[in-house]
Amino acid sequence: MISIRNLSITYGRMTSRGRSGETEAVKNISFSVEKGKLFALAGESGSGKSSVLMAIPGLLPEGTRVSGEILLDGRNLTALSEEELNALRWRRIALIPQGAMNSFTPVLTVGRHIEEVLDVHLGLSKRAARERTQELFVRAGLDGALASRYPHELSGGQKQRAAIALALACDPDWLLCDEPTTALDVITQKGIVDTLKDLVETKGVGMLLVSHDLPLAASVCSRIFIMKGGTIVEEGAPREIVAHPKNPHSAALVNALLELEREE
Amino acid sequence: MLLDIRKLTIDFPPSRKRKAVRALKEFSLRLEAGESVSIVGESGSGKTTLIRCISGHVTPVSGSVSLFGADLSEASNQELVALRRRCGVVSQDPYGSLPPTLTVLEAVMEPWLLVRGREARQAGEHKARELLDELGIGREEILSSKVRLSLSGGQRQRVAIARALVLGPELLLCDEPTSMQDASTRGDILRILQRRQETGMSMIFVTHDLFLARKAASRGLVLYRGEAVEEGLCRDFLASPQHPYTKALVAALPKLSSSATYAGESGGR
Repeated sequence: MISIRNLSITYGRMTSRGRSGETEAVKNISFSVEKGKLFALAGESGSGKSSVLMAIPGLLPEGTRVSGEILLDGRNLTALSEEELNALRWRRIALIPQGAMNSFTPVLTVGRHIEEVLDVHLGLSKRAARERTQELFVRAGLDGALASRYPHELSGGQKQRAAIALALACDPDWLLCDEPTTALDVITQKGIVDTLKDLVETKGVGMLLVSHDLPLAASVCSRIFIMKGGTIVEEGAPREIVAHPKNPHSAALVNALLELEREE
Repeated sequence: MLLDIRKLTIDFPPSRKRKAVRALKEFSLRLEAGESVSIVGESGSGKTTLIRCISGHVTPVSGSVSLFGADLSEASNQELVALRRRCGVVSQDPYGSLPPTLTVLEAVMEPWLLVRGREARQAGEHKARELLDELGIGREEILSSKVRLSLSGGQRQRVAIARALVLGPELLLCDEPTSMQDASTRGDILRILQRRQETGMSMIFVTHDLFLARKAASRGLVLYRGEAVEEGLCRDFLASPQHPYTKALVAALPKLSSSATYAGESGGR
């Protein structure tokens, strides 16, 4: 279980003349998520959802003030040293950051990229790493033959799946995904979220998804937290949120989406 | 006839690594003045190529494009420029398509100054401010900031829309113009475009989202691997899709309104 308690995140603001002023991106929020289910942080751009996600494995930029607690099975992650966090990253908590599909090194095949991670983090032999990569590709819904391709030879959807394979390298208990389907067309999008959902349902992985796409989040998640201006303004099962939004902001969001879906 | 595309076929030339790729196959489309159409398709379906062809930036293998009654293959460069000036284009990528060194206000005024001349500066500035205000980015601090700095993708897209609308185009070509917008802003932009359509502007709206397509134009066309596989009303595509690709598209579309798709009921346990 991951429990967030009274979490606040404040960035030092960058201006063209250097650092000045501060931005409070997340304001005293609390929520808990369990393994074996899909949870989503939804909301518009700038609402603070990515900040929360990045704070969990301690990956906020230097100079960011974090207060409150992030408990992983009772252990407070915000109090850990960089070394202690490194031991948890990849193995317990893996992150698929925004734009992960464009983060593969262009000079290696995607398979080699993943093999390197397996070597560095698990010390696998070349041969074992190659076999493991094939396994990971299959789990991420990719044809193993694609491991010998370079990133530019893959489609956006294939690259996103390769990023999922990479995140699964060390068998994490938790997968944190930031906008995993943005910039992909709806059919590819559906395939990716189905794969993520399958990982949760068959492998018991815990998953926290960040998305600005409420209909997409509602179609796969059992519980959604809607953020606005650094706070959680609404939380519940998708069905409850759509039927009875309690907060004016989320009500407006739901209505804007329903209006688009409704035939006039 | 505002636009008459007949049996248009376009190839991407072969490179060292791949053979020539057929981007559009015998594609036809007719649009009367004031009419709009949404073009729905996935990445690689030929949507962007089609837009580039209408604005005379791509030469077809065969077939013809006639814009405002002029055959593009016979138009001189000068004539092409004149025809393009009657169209607004919102490209898919607001990062690559806006002049990075200009301020937001300057970027929107630029087409106006190029076409109407420096003397019309005051009127152009007024028009640009009005548009940016309508699009919700009229605050002075945004107007005076450089496009390159401190603008989000969604804000850039709105700048690109204002730039395309500033000359009051007869035809607006939009390539996924709201892909980076939040749900509420997206609705605002569609309403702004709708107002222009009501006063006579035609629009070709390219998207992979069927709901957006229906909102943008009642008439639609589904493009799959360079071919029009379904034509008619967008609402019919959603209600009773015919082609297997359209069916897959409708099935994959996440819907907030349909409780059947909620994970809380089926998968969340």
